[in-house]
Amino acid sequence: MEFKSAEEGRIEKFPVGMRVLAVDDNPTCLRKLEELLLRCKYHVTKTMESKKALEMLRENSNMFDLVISDVEMPDADGFKLLETGLEMDLPVIMLSAHSDYDSVMKGILHGACDYLVKPVALKELQNIWHHVVKKNIKSYAKNIGTSRQLLPPSQSDLVPGVSKKRKDKVNDSGDDDDSDREEDDGEGSEQDGDESGTRKKPRVVWSQELHQKFVNAVQQLGLDKAVPKKILDLMNIEGLTRENVASHLQKYRLYLKKIDEGQQQNMTPDAFGTRDSSYFQMAQLDGLRDFTATRQLPSSGLLSRSHLTKIQPHLYSSINLQGMNSSGFIQQGHHQSSSNSANPFGTYHSTLPPRIQNVNLFQRTSSPLESLQFPRSKCSAYMGDFKSIGDRPIGGGFVDSCMSYGSSSTSLPSASTNTLMLQGNYTQPLHTVSSVNQPCIEKTLSNAASPNISVQGLSRLPSQSWQGNLNTTRFLSNSSPLNHAFFPDQVTCAGNNLGDCSSLVSAGNPGGGMQCEPQLLGGFLQNINSLDGQKWEQQNCSMVNNTFGNVEYPLPGDNMVFRENNAARSKGVDESLMSPIENSGNVNSQEYVGKPSTMVSAEMMKSGKPENAHIDNQNQHDVFDDIMNEMMKQEENNGMVSVAARFGFDSFPPP
Amino acid sequence: MDLVQMQKSLQDYTKSLFLEGILDSQFLQLQQLQDESNPDFVSQVVTLFFQDSDRILNDLSLSLDQQVVDFKKVDPHVHQLKGSSSSIGAQRVKNACVVFRNFCEQQNVEACHRCLQQVKQEYYLVKNRLETLFKLEQQIVASGGMVPAVELGF
Repeated sequence: MEFKSAEEGRIEKFPVGMRVLAVDDNPTCLRKLEELLLRCKYHVTKTMESKKALEMLRENSNMFDLVISDVEMPDADGFKLLETGLEMDLPVIMLSAHSDYDSVMKGILHGACDYLVKPVALKELQNIWHHVVKKNIKSYAKNIGTSRQLLPPSQSDLVPGVSKKRKDKVNDSGDDDDSDREEDDGEGSEQDGDESGTRKKPRVVWSQELHQKFVNAVQQLGLDKAVPKKILDLMNIEGLTRENVASHLQKYRLYLKKIDEGQQQNMTPDAFGTRDSSYFQMAQLDGLRDFTATRQLPSSGLLSRSHLTKIQPHLYSSINLQGMNSSGFIQQGHHQSSSNSANPFGTYHSTLPPRIQNVNLFQRTSSPLESLQFPRSKCSAYMGDFKSIGDRPIGGGFVDSCMSYGSSSTSLPSASTNTLMLQGNYTQPLHTVSSVNQPCIEKTLSNAASPNISVQGLSRLPSQSWQGNLNTTRFLSNSSPLNHAFFPDQVTCAGNNLGDCSSLVSAGNPGGGMQCEPQLLGGFLQNINSLDGQKWEQQNCSMVNNTFGNVEYPLPGDNMVFRENNAARSKGVDESLMSPIENSGNVNSQEYVGKPSTMVSAEMMKSGKPENAHIDNQNQHDVFDDIMNEMMKQEENNGMVSVAARFGFDSFPPP
Repeated sequence: MDLVQMQKSLQDYTKSLFLEGILDSQFLQLQQLQDESNPDFVSQVVTLFFQDSDRILNDLSLSLDQQVVDFKKVDPHVHQLKGSSSSIGAQRVKNACVVFRNFCEQQNVEACHRCLQQVKQEYYLVKNRLETLFKLEQQIVASGGMVPAVELGF
């Protein structure tokens, strides 16, 4: 490559003669820098004044090939120079005496090509020419219209976890096609920024609205006759492919199935039987709203499920949060809408591993279980039932989480206090969650008034199902929305296990009338408890890891565990999640996701196996996927029981 | 003293500065940048350093003597001094600046005064040593000799 020096008119072999503009207000440093650059055979123009540098740049855009500037100059802002350089498509290297993470991050975020820490070594300067080359290649590529993609390495490195998780997910569960497909499917309403780097196609994010449309279409066609093509036509969403719908449908079917199964097994089968859209709507408490935003979770599987939860705005969200690692929950959270209640779940669900959610929920609420007290006494009773469930990542978790979340989120529709609460609380977190690594959840959780959350959600649901009997049937009928709401969550979270739980949870959540059907919950709980906690843990862990990977759960007081792939984070989440659970008392924290931080384990542990460990290791992205897978598996194997066990709901009273 | 001896003295002296931690590898780098085409580079840069530092230390004294110390002014000065001392390898000065900055952040006037004293002390020390070093070099050059390349063996 050759660079022609405009001024000198000589042709030198690049990088010899590369024209560098060096800016530093420290004369000693500047002189040394100049010498170093000269040693590298660059052509150097130096100035101590940023203003002068800007002038020179503007005067002739072609005067320099590269700018290297100190950032901390008292009379000038190094970033201003950076911006100008960027405008002119010049590579700008930042120099600073500060090597702390934040400063470096700031520089990089501002678009610096590189960030060098003073004192700079000769070797470092000898390599700076490649920045010029990079820029030139890009413009070259653009100019000649080459299709060659020059992806910055960072992009592909961005979410190594994601792709890995996907793989893990696939390996982990038999249910991989859903998740994988979900992730790889076409454009979605939202894109998981983290994953886009690794994925070729943007993932479809099943927002509440989208999911609601989907559900509407399915209902219109009749579940038996609902085929992807027709659903797609009815939905009439631009950019949505048949494949997207197909995989979503599959997940939805599984979810429904789980709910049904769960109900039959544990609690009141019918409770969950009906999936009323109303339930979903209820679920769509605010909490869910935020899910959309947070859809960051890589675990597509979970996410996809979460959209199922969308139906139940709040419930789902709460559920998701609670424990359903399934993204489903999260999605619910993001239910479309729920306008008001913050959709904690909504935001979360994509990001929060269901498992974590549960935990959080529990933790958040001072007594997650309480919040779950579904209507026995007005939802509180129910809540109680849920409590047990709640502990579990699935049902219990959700409830609790919902509860905790609910309280925090004010947005939860008042409808049923409980359900709303759940959602509400979650929504808050969800909101925060939406942003990757947001510690929102934590906050929200902590704020959540807790118990009510779940109750709220539940209260939303027509109490019918709750009334009195926890039979699934009852729930189904009444709390269908809830059921649904939870369903996705549950399903997603625990993967298979959740399925069972979900029904329970949903039953509980719908609390619609907040009439918690303790029995239902109880049964569920028992089942859950009996389930092998391990799985749950795993799921939870993974979920936690994954789900929260990107989101910062405002777990009660804890740092958001859900940072992406942040083991520590997940830990945090776990903890936070755990706390509510503790409150509830029955928290089966054990499984809490992955890095079961002390909290989680302590709380979750109800059931007993605090395993936290493995989950942490999993890719966070896969949390939901894993959870879902787990749930699926468990569902198949054990039905509710397995789910319960998985989630560590050992404490569930036998149905 | 003959040339060889002077050169030896210079080498030993330089080494001692490194061993005492007064100078660090950055100074070596400066020396490596010096060559026939650039024979006075090191002394150039070091002179710049002295000028800059004198000014800064003066400003610092003034700022800290104010009734109400404006740390927003103090900190950038210390930062600048830290940067320049580090770029030429005046290690002890740099370290003293780091401590100084911490106290600035804490807005501890008393401690800052002590830090300033410490910085000054280190600065005068390195200034003195470097001036001696340059004198030795000048003597060698005046005697017709070449300043030996710095040994990196220690």
